[in-house]
Amino acid sequence: MKQSLLQNLFAGGASTILHALLIILLIFSFDMPTEIRQFGQPEVEIVQATVMDEDLVLEEMARLQEAEDSKRIAEEERQQKLDEQLEKSQQELARQEQELLDMQERAKLDAEKRKQEAELEQQRLKELEQQRIEQEEARKQAELERQKAEEAKQKADAERKAAEEAKQKAEAERVAAEKAREEAETRRKAEEEAKRKAEEEAKRKAEEEAKRKAEEEAKRKADEEAKRKAEEEAKRKAEEEAKRKAAEDAKRKAEEDARRQAESDLQRQLEAEQSEREGRRVRGVVDEYSQIIQQRVKRFWIKPPNADRGLEVTLRIRTLPGGDVGEVTIVRSSGNAIFDRSAESAVYKSSPLPLPSDAKAAAEFRSFNVVFRPE
Amino acid sequence: MIKKWLLKLGILLALLPLQAHALLTIEITGGSDGALPIAIVPFGSEGLRAPEDITKIIRNDLESSGRFAPLEDQDLVSRPTEQSQVNFADWRLLRSEGLVIGKISSQDGENYQVQFQLFDVYRGQQLAGKRYQVPASGLRALGHQIADVIYETLTGEKGIFSTRLAFVTQVTAGDGKKRFALQISDADGANPRTVLQSTQPIMSPAWAPDGDQLAYVSFENGKSEVFVQQLQSGQRKSVAAFEGINSAPSWSPDGRKLALTLSRNGNPEIYVLELANGNLIRVTNNAQAIDTEAVWSPNGNEIYFTSDRGGRPQIYRVSANGGRAERVSFEGNYNASPDISPDGRKLAMVHGANGNFYIAVQDLKTGAMQILTDSRRAESPSFAPNGQMILYATEQKGSGVLAAVSVDGRIHQRLSESGIVVREPAWSPLKK
Repeated sequence: MKQSLLQNLFAGGASTILHALLIILLIFSFDMPTEIRQFGQPEVEIVQATVMDEDLVLEEMARLQEAEDSKRIAEEERQQKLDEQLEKSQQELARQEQELLDMQERAKLDAEKRKQEAELEQQRLKELEQQRIEQEEARKQAELERQKAEEAKQKADAERKAAEEAKQKAEAERVAAEKAREEAETRRKAEEEAKRKAEEEAKRKAEEEAKRKAEEEAKRKADEEAKRKAEEEAKRKAEEEAKRKAAEDAKRKAEEDARRQAESDLQRQLEAEQSEREGRRVRGVVDEYSQIIQQRVKRFWIKPPNADRGLEVTLRIRTLPGGDVGEVTIVRSSGNAIFDRSAESAVYKSSPLPLPSDAKAAAEFRSFNVVFRPE
Repeated sequence: MIKKWLLKLGILLALLPLQAHALLTIEITGGSDGALPIAIVPFGSEGLRAPEDITKIIRNDLESSGRFAPLEDQDLVSRPTEQSQVNFADWRLLRSEGLVIGKISSQDGENYQVQFQLFDVYRGQQLAGKRYQVPASGLRALGHQIADVIYETLTGEKGIFSTRLAFVTQVTAGDGKKRFALQISDADGANPRTVLQSTQPIMSPAWAPDGDQLAYVSFENGKSEVFVQQLQSGQRKSVAAFEGINSAPSWSPDGRKLALTLSRNGNPEIYVLELANGNLIRVTNNAQAIDTEAVWSPNGNEIYFTSDRGGRPQIYRVSANGGRAERVSFEGNYNASPDISPDGRKLAMVHGANGNFYIAVQDLKTGAMQILTDSRRAESPSFAPNGQMILYATEQKGSGVLAAVSVDGRIHQRLSESGIVVREPAWSPLKK
């Protein structure tokens, strides 16, 4: 690119070459910071690096500065030389140009006259020019090559330097990177640690939270349970109390009732006992007279011959106060008129019936039943 | 609580009898089998002297039955002849259950008007009452008839006072010859009349179910022969004169057949003779044993008889059409002369034991046997048509007499005078 540009410049003219050179220089000088920037580290990290090892950097910077300075001086010297050479060349050029112009002028004046000659001369001149151009070209070429070599050398130096620098820088960067890596590692570790710690913390916190929550829940539940139990207990107690009270009341009432009952029972029992004694006595008399009457009626009862075993007649007997049989009625017939009649006759024949003198017992015999069975 | 309840119950129980809600009940089981007191007031005759003392006939009948205990005449508190004269209270005092009053009158001394009434003394009710008109000769029979009415009214069973007895008498005449007679009498043994006389033995009289004919065995032709005789006309007919034994006739309940013992085939066997055509059916067939004394069951399906097929005489039963006989009596080693009660439930027989012969009765359902007599030589038991008495002949002071015993063995009757030998009695059926 540069080469073709230069060639164009050469083709375009010396001034163009100058401009081109300047442009090259400008481009070159422009390129430098660009190149440097290309090696630049992120600002933050540089700041950090500076912070981390200021002395080293300062030293490095001083060194760089020194190198830069010496390079700049050399460059300036070289530039001055170049400038001087350029001035000389330009002066030579200007002079040559002047001479050329003068010659051209003279030539023009003599052109007619010496046209042939001029032409020859011109040819020679041309050749000379060509020669000179070629020499110049060669010199320029040599110069250019020297320059190029110089440039290459410079460039190689610069490149070497740059490489050195880059290496250093790379080393620094590597160191820095290592450092950064380490730092990053450290940081990562720290972060990991932090993360772990944070996680642990979080976990711990979560666990704690969970535990706390669980505890709280448990507590809440326990509280609730306790509350419920307490309520239940209270309720139970209240109920028991109520029950107990009711039972006590009932008991008291029952006792009172029982006492009253006992009193009245006692009274009644006395009455009952008296009544029962009386009843027993009456029953005894009644039993006695029942047997007497039974024997008497049985003695008077003449069964019909071959009365079937299953026959049974029940008679109702009403007696008169003296024991005389007043009325005999068939309560339940045997179905056999003769059997029934035999029983009736037996009762009538038994009249008067012996009756107890005791009024209560005798009352039993005012009306009673007699059942007759053949056997 | 329970105590309280019991207490209350006790009170209740104690009070119950006093409240008279539950009536006192006295139970009487098994009264006496004694005779029923009855007052039989001599029938009013207004001075008429009747040829028969009808009141006495009634009284004797009832008393002899053992079921009644008529008051002695001197105990009668009064002598009413009609209801208007009766004061029941008087008779109640005498504990008489029944009171019989009546009248007898006659305009011409030939025909008599008789009426009677039977009262239930305690209820003052008439239980029976009838009027009759009979010739003088019918007065005795009328007396029996009235006794039958009274008996049936108060006991619920048929009276048998109008039935007759058939029996054989044996007398030794002055010439030393024996005279045999077939006689019939009233049920009380009175009024005997001869229906057949013979110098040869007469045996086994049997009443036809209609009470008008007798079958019997007579040896008048020198051998045993079965006759059937009309009592009213005296006509008779030989129905079985086969070779060998012809004996022990018994009428079938329908009166159309006779069961007999015949030995026409060599050995005494039971046959059934159809009277209308003389057909014979052999019922038993046992060459080793004597089968005799056949008697029909009341339904006519079976024949009971005596057989010694088991070695000793026992009672057997066989279908009237023949077939396999089954033994019926098992008590002791001698049971013979069967008779079956009219209801078919009892077997009367002669039961031999210790050399004596008793009248015994066996319940055909349970097999239980009861000895009814203490006589030494009882024979020929015959049920009365009401099944309550068993007529039999026995030996007394060397002569045979008629006697009767109630089926329960409680009542004993003597029916004939001593002096003549009376044997083989048979009780007639009820009068139609």
